[in-house]
Amino acid sequence: MKPSTIGASVPQIRAREKVLGAAQYVGDMKVAGMLHGKVLRSPYPHARIVHVDTSRARALRGVKVVVTGADVPKRLWGPIHKEHHILAVDKVRFAGEEVAAVAAIDEATALDALELIRIEYEPLPAVLHPDEALKPGAPQVHDGHSNLAREIRINRGDVDAAFKSAAAIHEATYDMSYQYHGYMEPMGTLVVPDPSGRLTIYAPTQSVFFTRQFTAEALNVSSSELRVIQTEIGGAFGGKLTEDANTPIAAFLARKAGKPVRLVNNRLEDFLAARSSIPTRVWLKMGLAKDGRIVAKDSVIVADNGAYSGLAPEMVLVTAFRTDSLHRLENVRSHARLVFTNNLPSGTFRSFGTQQMAFPLDSHLTVLADMIGVDPVEVQLRNALRTGDTSVHGWRLGSCGLAECVERAASGVGWHEKRGGSPGASGTRRRGVGIGTGIHVTANRQLGNWDGSTVVVKVNEDGRVVLMTGESDLGQGSNTVLAQICAAELGVPLEHITVAQPDTDTSPFCLGTFASRVTILAGNAVIKAAREAKDKLLAMAAEKLEVAASDLVVEDGRIHVKGVEGHGMTVAEAARMHIFRRSGEGILVRATYDAPTEMADKQTFLGNVAPAYSFAALAAQVEVDTETGQVKIVDCFVADDCGKALNPLAVEGQINGAVLQGIGWALYENFEIEEGRLLNGNFADYHMPTAEASPVLRHAIVETIDPNGPFGAKGASETALVPVAGAIANAVADAIGARIISLPITPEKVLAALRAKSKGGRHA
Amino acid sequence: MRDFTVLKPSSAREASRLLAEHGDGARLMAGGTALILALRQRLVTPGHLVYLGGVPAMNAVTYDAKTGLRIGALARHIDVATNAAVKTHYPMLASMAAQVANPQVRNQGTLGGNLCYADPASDPPTCLMALGARVLATSNAGEREIALDAFFTDYYQTALRPEEVLTEIRIPPLGDATGAYARFRRTEAEHRPMLTLGIVARRDGNMCRSARIVIGASTATPVRASGVEQLLEGKPVTRALLDQAAALVRSQTEVLSDFRGSADYRREIAGVVLRRTAASLFGVELN
Repeated sequence: MKPSTIGASVPQIRAREKVLGAAQYVGDMKVAGMLHGKVLRSPYPHARIVHVDTSRARALRGVKVVVTGADVPKRLWGPIHKEHHILAVDKVRFAGEEVAAVAAIDEATALDALELIRIEYEPLPAVLHPDEALKPGAPQVHDGHSNLAREIRINRGDVDAAFKSAAAIHEATYDMSYQYHGYMEPMGTLVVPDPSGRLTIYAPTQSVFFTRQFTAEALNVSSSELRVIQTEIGGAFGGKLTEDANTPIAAFLARKAGKPVRLVNNRLEDFLAARSSIPTRVWLKMGLAKDGRIVAKDSVIVADNGAYSGLAPEMVLVTAFRTDSLHRLENVRSHARLVFTNNLPSGTFRSFGTQQMAFPLDSHLTVLADMIGVDPVEVQLRNALRTGDTSVHGWRLGSCGLAECVERAASGVGWHEKRGGSPGASGTRRRGVGIGTGIHVTANRQLGNWDGSTVVVKVNEDGRVVLMTGESDLGQGSNTVLAQICAAELGVPLEHITVAQPDTDTSPFCLGTFASRVTILAGNAVIKAAREAKDKLLAMAAEKLEVAASDLVVEDGRIHVKGVEGHGMTVAEAARMHIFRRSGEGILVRATYDAPTEMADKQTFLGNVAPAYSFAALAAQVEVDTETGQVKIVDCFVADDCGKALNPLAVEGQINGAVLQGIGWALYENFEIEEGRLLNGNFADYHMPTAEASPVLRHAIVETIDPNGPFGAKGASETALVPVAGAIANAVADAIGARIISLPITPEKVLAALRAKSKGGRHA
Repeated sequence: MRDFTVLKPSSAREASRLLAEHGDGARLMAGGTALILALRQRLVTPGHLVYLGGVPAMNAVTYDAKTGLRIGALARHIDVATNAAVKTHYPMLASMAAQVANPQVRNQGTLGGNLCYADPASDPPTCLMALGARVLATSNAGEREIALDAFFTDYYQTALRPEEVLTEIRIPPLGDATGAYARFRRTEAEHRPMLTLGIVARRDGNMCRSARIVIGASTATPVRASGVEQLLEGKPVTRALLDQAAALVRSQTEVLSDFRGSADYRREIAGVVLRRTAASLFGVELN
């Protein structure tokens, strides 16, 4: 008998076709009569569209459709605020905004057509910084609407009184930049109209049902006039969650043309269109008691949303309060403002705004620990919430491995021997260690008062199983994990499970893949469905074998009487028999799991929003070249509490990827913007960590077996990004005795900090 | 990318004739690593590509103790990096070639193509100029040698005439001189150097008899650090002298300033890289 693959490092079920180059992405797809779409973008951050002339583009041979803001539906669309047209109408609000689109017989013709479109702009005063945007009388990004996209105030306990009891108080203002998702596959969409006008949309979306809803809104049609099928996804990290206009534009072009249209971003277009993470400034004040307890935390957050809000209003709430559930806090206050500007729109990114508070928080805790003379690791441990605790915001931690994560990470880099700075490889180099911590929700009852998942398990007459879900596998491996759960519960080999591509016509309704929600929600639904399917199989076999169903087991695709291997039948035989003996009723089981959580109160934000919470800690050792300011990570150890690693290989991949993305944000990645225009929208000038720039990543998986998790599992894809920047900043500070409080930590900033330190300052 | 016609000359002279015939509408292609990117982005839209890949023996690397090294313009970076004569007689050139860009570019890009492209943020120009290299320009009218000091005229600009084809790189024998080359990348995540520095010097122990020092990547074209050369000449190279040299290079080098490095940072790094590279060449202990 083959053992269950739960907890086994099985390769992803689609890994082979991906590495062989056989997997088909939307950019590979071609259908008969397909046209190629291209988009013209605004060169101005804020301008009135005075005159549009598309006549020469329309006249070009091979051009089938040219559309502008004058042609698109008047209805506004957007994930939360309804604020977009498919193409800019009357004015543009950021440099890169879509103003016209073309469909032509090939890409070269479409590009030629773009060059023939004449658009006359009248540049308007642009607001390019949230501070300017918040000034009275500032130009409005959205006419008739203040530049405040969202404002949040949270107040618990008595912060002001609590500060009076602090032994040490520290305040500082931190700046964080945009981060682009940097997935291998830029966004793209193929739209195929059928003769009735109904559209089939193929896209690498994180949520087929969001894509259907928002595209229907944009086109001003009913959702069922669209069918959305998820294609193979070459990475997403939050960037493919229908905040951008790629799919609506492709759908609009296809409707106009009455022919299939494919619209695939090139890399620069993707930089401009995808909603990179939110540039955020955080003023933070915290106080520690003599024994290391945090007595109060006060923060003011100003987040640059750029021109359109996407899902950012939900992210800024996360920045305002999520990290408070790491620690035993009583007195916290937060004032967060999300601000419209004429910069690139910002939005969903892995860890969803948690990192924008974790970097300030982790930096602060190390500063404060040093002020009271207690080791920063000890301060983290004394404040860490534990299993069974309820946080200051009402989050009930069914499992919490934070303290163990901190200990494992610290011992992983040899914290106690190395803390306090040490000489590096040469006299001008210094080494230091730093620690950071992270939390993430596993699912989140935030976008509506249902946070569950529905799956269908269908047992074919050959005993093979089709698992239908609307949740997308972004490459993180959710299909593999769901198949492992299904195989384990049914007692069939993993290879016998096929996970169908999400398709709005055939998949059960699902919210999609974000908030690390799929393993816990869909996983629990799979357990329910698979058990019910197994019961049906056993009942059928019991009838045939004339034994009690309770005496039967399923192992490796065979049903037999417990302890009597020979006496039984195959799953295939039972499944086939089920059809013929039950009047054609095949085994088709639908099950839903709805997490036992609550919506946060709209005013107080109190409420247990997630069925489980994941934790992580990362310790890094860096070496700083004090003459050049360069920072090299020489050691890095992350401990991740993902509840239970259903597939350690997949968990390891997610942890390593998250840490690398965090390293990129901490040290390398930055948008170079001049007057609202992005200057480095390409991989030669935007520097993600290369293999060469990646340290050896070491990790420990901490298994706390969450009571709500399938086999105890929690989310494992986002948490490990959260502690990275703070740990690196702390390590740099330990090495050189000066602290960098803005990201990325560039060599220039490090040199400036060293100079300021020699003149007696503390921050750069 | 727009459509174009590919022309395949069988000699450099024929390539030159084709360039003359098609004028501005033609582009010369060797390895194509830079050109293909520009074509795909429509930064250049030639009607004709004159592809040199069919010209025989234009990638030969030969060494003669009297005349020095001759590298065919089509030799790839990897060919230079692994050539036995280069490794033996010009180790600084071999090590430079082994570090150019990334493995894909080294296996496809050519030394001649690199020089003609004249991208400031690249390695070969600085290293070859420090080695006193000259290039051979061939046209239908004949051949001429151009010293690299006079070859680079501005960003992406060279002294080549429109119909000239760079066919060979000539490097004089090093004699009793030794050299060192350094490339500084701002972070490990970047491929291109922010600053490059080449030194070729003749020395007796730590006494510098003469030095040829070239700085690049942070300048529009590689430049000689002549002030530093004069400072070092005839003196024992010590930690104190190198500190002086670093100060001099910081104050005398006119550097670029952009998001890949501010002028202040580039100047600072010029001093650091000069001090470290010269220290290793002259055996000065810095720590």
